[in-house]
Amino acid sequence: MQSLVFGLITGSLLAVATAGFALLRNTERFLHIAHGQFMALGAFLAVVLTAQWGLVPGVLVSVTVVAGAGVLCGALLFDPVKPQGGNVLLFTSIGLAWVIYALLIAVFGTEVRIFEVSLGQGWDLGPISLAPGELAILAIAALVILGLWLLLNRTGLGRSIRAVASNRELAEVRGVPVVRVSRVIWALSSALAAVAGILLGVLGTVTTELGWSNILLVLAAAVLGGTGNILGVIAASLVLGIVMDASALVIDTSYRPVVAFVILIGVLVLRPEGLFSVARRREVAA
Amino acid sequence: MSTLPFWATVLTFGLVIGMAALLLNIEAGWGGMWDLGIAGQVAVGAYSYALLTSPPDAVVPGLGLPFWAAMVGAGLITMIVSALIGWPTLRLRGEYFLITTFAFAEIIRQLIVIQRGLTGGTFGVTGIDKPFAEYFLPSAYPFILLGLAAAATVLVLLVSQRVSNSTYGLTLRAARDNEPLARSMGTAVDRVRIATYALVGLMTGLLVAPVYVWFLGALVPASFTTHLTFLVWTGLVIGGLGSRLGGLIGAVVLTVASEAVRLISVDPEHASRLAAFQPFLVGVLLIVLLRWRPEGLLSERGAFRKRAKPLDRIRRDDPQTLEAVSA
Repeated sequence: MQSLVFGLITGSLLAVATAGFALLRNTERFLHIAHGQFMALGAFLAVVLTAQWGLVPGVLVSVTVVAGAGVLCGALLFDPVKPQGGNVLLFTSIGLAWVIYALLIAVFGTEVRIFEVSLGQGWDLGPISLAPGELAILAIAALVILGLWLLLNRTGLGRSIRAVASNRELAEVRGVPVVRVSRVIWALSSALAAVAGILLGVLGTVTTELGWSNILLVLAAAVLGGTGNILGVIAASLVLGIVMDASALVIDTSYRPVVAFVILIGVLVLRPEGLFSVARRREVAA
Repeated sequence: MSTLPFWATVLTFGLVIGMAALLLNIEAGWGGMWDLGIAGQVAVGAYSYALLTSPPDAVVPGLGLPFWAAMVGAGLITMIVSALIGWPTLRLRGEYFLITTFAFAEIIRQLIVIQRGLTGGTFGVTGIDKPFAEYFLPSAYPFILLGLAAAATVLVLLVSQRVSNSTYGLTLRAARDNEPLARSMGTAVDRVRIATYALVGLMTGLLVAPVYVWFLGALVPASFTTHLTFLVWTGLVIGGLGSRLGGLIGAVVLTVASEAVRLISVDPEHASRLAAFQPFLVGVLLIVLLRWRPEGLLSERGAFRKRAKPLDRIRRDDPQTLEAVSA
């Protein structure tokens, strides 16, 4: 039972990170490898800023800064190479990931940092034990995802984003301000990365490797979720988180990431359309 | 401190990355298989070599074979592992192939960390058997190693040239450019691709991984992270994806440029800034080159330009060239 709770927390944090990744993947059509480094950037900024200005202002400023950085990178680095296709965008993103990683090492150094936040004493609730801090993390993750879902499905902006995701050319012809929507998506995606990075940092530690160690899990969750629906991504993240933490009951905990990647490869080979997608992925079958 | 052995060592590393880039070029440049799992293949080859040569009574016990037998063994093991990985993954296209190879490389690295009994875990394998080390002074050995690396590079180059001039190489590029057409012309695209994947695995295990092991002197899982994969990729992108020599030149330029900063002596508090320089350079070069010179220093078009033979020109149904050739 306890591992189910841990899995739920892992999965919901993964869902926040992957939702941002999937937004970019569905609208700009490339794999944003630097997404993990945006997570690390958010966590590092928040560690430094919360120590100075207190928890809430520090977190808000870090998320805003990362969102701004995302918009800038999107406009200056990615838009000019967009005509060259997904692979060039992907490798530009890999290049950006290395640059951010190098800057993080240069500015913050390689020592491990922790948030000066206590998760509190664990409550015993029958078979499980839950700290108030863990409950708060879970609640924040759930709120962020709910907010994103409402934004995508209940607002005009969300409709524009979904229009660009399903058919960019048609959306442009129909008068959707594609460039402005793209900026919003970069801001949203980077902010989600920052939130996920900060929550992960509060739960554990903040290191410069945070980005690289999480991007593969994000990739796995995004692929398992399939393209198209944000709910698929969330379901896939939760499944991945729970299976990873539940696998600790059967085999050694060090196999945790291996389990996730084996699931990913298994699903890709056996069911290339993703776990939760109805439409076949044509590029896989073609 | 004499800097000559230092440069020999840097150049050796450059040649290791260069060899990997030449092999990646066969696979990704000509074959269109964008592989993010190079570090995994090199890790399999390197650990195979180390465990085959390591004496049975060492901390990490091995078979104690001579180095040449271990090279062949590492080549065969890496080839088999590559074929096993390639069999399911090569059916995937585009970004799914990228993700799967990426995930396989990460699984291999994690397994190396976990299987302490076999691989030494994060403590790694020390006491690597370097060929001919007993005949030379330790101060002269970097130059011997550079010679060995150069010889291995020549072999890889010969294989790469042979592929580029062969029907097999043409088939590979045809399947990349227009797979349905290549299939309809009767090419067994899947077999060509898996053979390429296995060939790259064989060469990686036989030559790239052992030279890398000699260069490292000791094996730890941290030497086989995605950093290695992207170093090779950046070298190839700098040199020109699809060109004949680009990967080698790009990789050597990249490694020499990024290692040169180690000569700058700094006080320890700035050491982390210096350590950040290589990833920074790799990242900036990738972004800048893809934007302003996506074809690299040497392009594929440049590499194959002179290959137009009279026979090719006749087929174009142009009366002028027909006359010119028949005259």
